[in-house]
Amino acid sequence: MTRRRLSAIVDAIAAGRRPKRFRADPDDAEVVRTAIALRAARPGEAGPTEAFVEDLFQRLSEQANPPTSAELRPVPARRLRVALVAAASAAVLVAGTVVATEKLGTSATAPSATAQVPHGTVLRTGTFQTTRGRVLGQIVAYRGHPSWVFMNVDVPNYEGRIECMLQVDDGTTVAFGTFTIHNGVGQFSRAIGAVNVSRLRGAELVNPAGSAVAAATFAA
Amino acid sequence: MVSGGDVPYLHVVDDDAYGDWESVYRDNVDRLYRLMYARVGNRADAEELTSEVFTTALRPLRLSSSKGEVRAYLLLTAKTVLASHWRRRLGQPVTAIDPETDLAYLTQPPGSEPPSDAPARAARILEALPERYRRILELRFLEACSIKEAAHTMQITVSNAKVLQHRALRMAASLDLELAP
Repeated sequence: MTRRRLSAIVDAIAAGRRPKRFRADPDDAEVVRTAIALRAARPGEAGPTEAFVEDLFQRLSEQANPPTSAELRPVPARRLRVALVAAASAAVLVAGTVVATEKLGTSATAPSATAQVPHGTVLRTGTFQTTRGRVLGQIVAYRGHPSWVFMNVDVPNYEGRIECMLQVDDGTTVAFGTFTIHNGVGQFSRAIGAVNVSRLRGAELVNPAGSAVAAATFAA
Repeated sequence: MVSGGDVPYLHVVDDDAYGDWESVYRDNVDRLYRLMYARVGNRADAEELTSEVFTTALRPLRLSSSKGEVRAYLLLTAKTVLASHWRRRLGQPVTAIDPETDLAYLTQPPGSEPPSDAPARAARILEALPERYRRILELRFLEACSIKEAAHTMQITVSNAKVLQHRALRMAASLDLELAP
């Protein structure tokens, strides 16, 4: 680890923030361990907050006794997006399996997907790939109130800003937004007002130099 | 007196067992959190890891087990959760939980502060450092000063404070190894 990165981790520990991910060597680990030991000795901060204890209790209660439909609470937007991405990923996998199965010609029965994914153009997914076909992430567009687009990407050795461009079926391209990738990992979500989700054709990720990093095509 | 046919179904309540999962949670959440906090040094990670331990451990938990067995099981789960946390975060086992030596965290009587070796350990390390190294670490880690504030207090530049902190931590780390019981 470079001295600057180690210093950033130490600063985070001193300030009581969670340190970012890095590859540490054993010597760095010793320094981080000592920094944690010193930070943990600061008086008055070792115990949990009441809010945390009660919030976790509520979550465990729900795990132990799943709520009935009448008791369902609205899911926070971020969790909803993650859940939808997971469901969409499952659907993509199911679809891929179906294609493979049909090509093999081993089954004449109609496949059935079990993932609870909305039909039609309510939820549309695409996979970010490089020009060489390497998968770098996913994009999900959701039509609702509001409609939004969510993406997560894993671009090895990439650090910095990246811009997402949305492609519409009339051939136009819309600059959708810019986000930061740290340690090769990043995610971004934003509501889209004027763009009709059903008219999206694909998306492209572009680095600050204007070069395409990856592109995705939305499934119909 | 209860007649033979009306004997209610009673079961022995073992003082050394938990009656339900809520008792397991209430009795251990504070202590387990403190242990995690001592191992990660920040609230966000301590909360996340404590949550992970309980969500992982409570479902398969057998309430017929003794309190000691339940605590040992929680500690084993905590050990695994913490190990995976460091593997993901820094790729190194920075800190660890030892189910034997750390059991004291979960077995203190109700109402008493769980033991923490953090203050004594920090004191041992700081006492063994040269004055300026000790001061920069005290300011930064115990007195909650920013690097700028620490530099101002010590009447040095921010760059010098960063260098001093780096060297002090390196020396403290080597001392921590030497002074470890």
